[in-house]
Amino acid sequence: MEVTLRRTAAAIARNNNGLRPAAAALTAAPSSRHFSLSSLTRPPPNYPGHVPLTRIEKAALAIGSGLMSLRDPRRGDLIAAFAEATATPYFIYRLRDAMLASPTGRRILRDRPRITSTSLNLPHLRSLPPGSVGRTYVAWLDREGVSPDTRSAVRYIDDAECAYVMQRYRECHDFYHALTGLPVVREGEVALKAFEFANTLLPMTGLSVFAAATLKRSERKRFGDIYLPWALRNGLRAAEVINVYWEEQLERDVGELRRELGVEPPPDLRDIRKREREERRRRKEEQAARDGGV
Amino acid sequence: MNTAIRRRSAYVCRSCTQSLQRQLRRTYASATAQPDIYDVVCVGGGPAGLSLLTALRANPVTAHLRIALVEAQDLAKTKSWKLPPNKFSNRCSSLTPSSASFLDQIGAWSHLERDRVQAYQEMQVWDGVTGARIEFDWAPGAAPAAGTTIAYMNENLNLTSGLLKRIEELGGVSVFDNAKVEKIAYGEETEDVDLREWPVVHLSGGKQLSARLLVGADGANSPVRSFAGIEARGWDYNRHGVVATLEMEGEGWGGEHLKTAYQRFLPTGPVAMLPLPGNHCTLVWSTTPTNASRLKSLSAKDFIATVNAAFRLSPTDLEYMHTQESGQAEEYSWRLEHTPLDYRTIPQTAVGVQEGTVASFPLKLRHADTYIAERVALVGDAAHTIHPLAGQGLNQGQGDVQSLAKAIEYAVGHGQDIGVTMALEPYASERYAANHLLLGVCDKLHKLYSVGSGPLVPLRSVGLNAVNALGPLKSFFMNQAAGNGIKVF
Repeated sequence: MEVTLRRTAAAIARNNNGLRPAAAALTAAPSSRHFSLSSLTRPPPNYPGHVPLTRIEKAALAIGSGLMSLRDPRRGDLIAAFAEATATPYFIYRLRDAMLASPTGRRILRDRPRITSTSLNLPHLRSLPPGSVGRTYVAWLDREGVSPDTRSAVRYIDDAECAYVMQRYRECHDFYHALTGLPVVREGEVALKAFEFANTLLPMTGLSVFAAATLKRSERKRFGDIYLPWALRNGLRAAEVINVYWEEQLERDVGELRRELGVEPPPDLRDIRKREREERRRRKEEQAARDGGV
Repeated sequence: MNTAIRRRSAYVCRSCTQSLQRQLRRTYASATAQPDIYDVVCVGGGPAGLSLLTALRANPVTAHLRIALVEAQDLAKTKSWKLPPNKFSNRCSSLTPSSASFLDQIGAWSHLERDRVQAYQEMQVWDGVTGARIEFDWAPGAAPAAGTTIAYMNENLNLTSGLLKRIEELGGVSVFDNAKVEKIAYGEETEDVDLREWPVVHLSGGKQLSARLLVGADGANSPVRSFAGIEARGWDYNRHGVVATLEMEGEGWGGEHLKTAYQRFLPTGPVAMLPLPGNHCTLVWSTTPTNASRLKSLSAKDFIATVNAAFRLSPTDLEYMHTQESGQAEEYSWRLEHTPLDYRTIPQTAVGVQEGTVASFPLKLRHADTYIAERVALVGDAAHTIHPLAGQGLNQGQGDVQSLAKAIEYAVGHGQDIGVTMALEPYASERYAANHLLLGVCDKLHKLYSVGSGPLVPLRSVGLNAVNALGPLKSFFMNQAAGNGIKVF
């Protein structure tokens, strides 16, 4: 985006020169000053990959990405951009301070570990006893067919440390799935986002809960009856999950970790959905049998 | 015999008759010991008590009064107090220019070791949660003719030692030091005098001093106040003031002639770095008793790091550092990398702490119901105890003393008995409301800034920024603080 804007400005300058050289020379100074107020004099990045944005740009990014991601929830890039544009002011600082208040959180901020398929030894995780955090996590990855590498890098948060907090949250998201056992289907995702919102207060997670409006009616009812109350209750009651040093918890029993954090496992969404599907099929068959009988 | 003297007293000055009376008494003393009567007995040889005696002795109108000073400590030691030029006591107070001019008026200022007194001209005060800031700096051309000094930082011992030297120079004060006050009670009626309504101070060793006016300058737990039955009301802040003498990396950003005082309001209490001569500073850090005892237990390296952190890092970081038993230095250097700072607005880095100067004392608010009773007056901490956040405790005491000395001068000049409530009333009426206002303001400031989050935090920041932006309002506050503005309080 930065590059394109620069190019446009250069093109305008060239065109001006081509058309009216004298006038361009006269207006060169004021016009360059005018541009200097906009995005052309971007400060240098604070960390590799950082894109400094002005407040207006951030607001525009938030509105645009927010609307578009509501329309198409599969656009992970837009959700990520929305998360970053709305994390400041306040929210990401609050989350960082929550980390700084905990010895483990401080250690994470100091080490700045990244979760990737290379940083985690996936075959080793598969060899861990069932019920351990690592095994649950890898089983979850295998079942959902996702990889830890699908997380994009943070770009729009100005403070390097806060950018890392957002990155960490994003990379830990898969562990939250493992911790709660919620699947990546839209319904599970929305329930997990509600849990995260209550726990981290990040605005993006709150907005994602509105995606519940796009669920099927039966799913929406189930979300309202079971998963939303579960998410809010557990999200608020549990310790800050951002402070879990997952890399050190891989061999622990997931039930023990849940108890430590104060998270109750929600009813298994996959089981419920399977039961309901079977129920529907059975009813259909009965109906068919009755129809056939008549 | 007594009637003869009384008749004569119309023609002889009072002090002469008194001395004659004493001589006669001594000559014809009967079996019962004659009471030792003083015009003023001051209990407590701190800054307030000593200033009062100096003021009385220095004024020709009150110089003839018979004065006694009672102090539990050895005053000879205080008078000969001496420290090398690179060492400073940890108990320092700020003296406003009006206190300093009063001390000058009574001739004590020149007896202070002036090269140990540090004037400061600017102040930086900010909110540790939001960073909202008020900068008391003199705009070019806006400096008042009376001088740009906001206050002087001075060791309390330098002041008491200077006052003692001045009292010695003036002479005429009976000093009873190393003396414990056993009890204070009313006197008895003898054939000569009726002292049933006069306080008598009983010292250890049997000495008894009868007082026409008993002055309580004996601190927060004043025995004089309890004798007078005056209640002191208030509350404890559940905070301790941690003090220390620090060595800084330099003389301050403004060099030797432009010194700045810094104060940051943290949710646990304000922390202040006040300049002393050279590259020294004195620290006053109000914090919870737990944090205070942790600070006192730290190694010098970790203590310095925590002090530097107090002016730089977020309250969250500080809270964490207070939970550490050691390793603050390392934690500080890590967090400093991630904390954006404007170095000109914070004190220079502390590099050393003078050994044995880290100490703490509990903070409280107390205000006596009244300052005066029949033949009793309270001054200084005996009358009021204030939160140190505005550095006004000692100055309030100086204000009391100035006012009480004036009331005594008036009473003497008009032939009144200096001990009666009527004579003391001007003192109480001049000082009580002023002190009460200042106590209240400091108390509310403490409470306002103890809030770590919630709607009050942005509101107080908006307020502070607004005052900072309003030039005339700010210079009004600065002139008030320096005591050279219009007299409002």
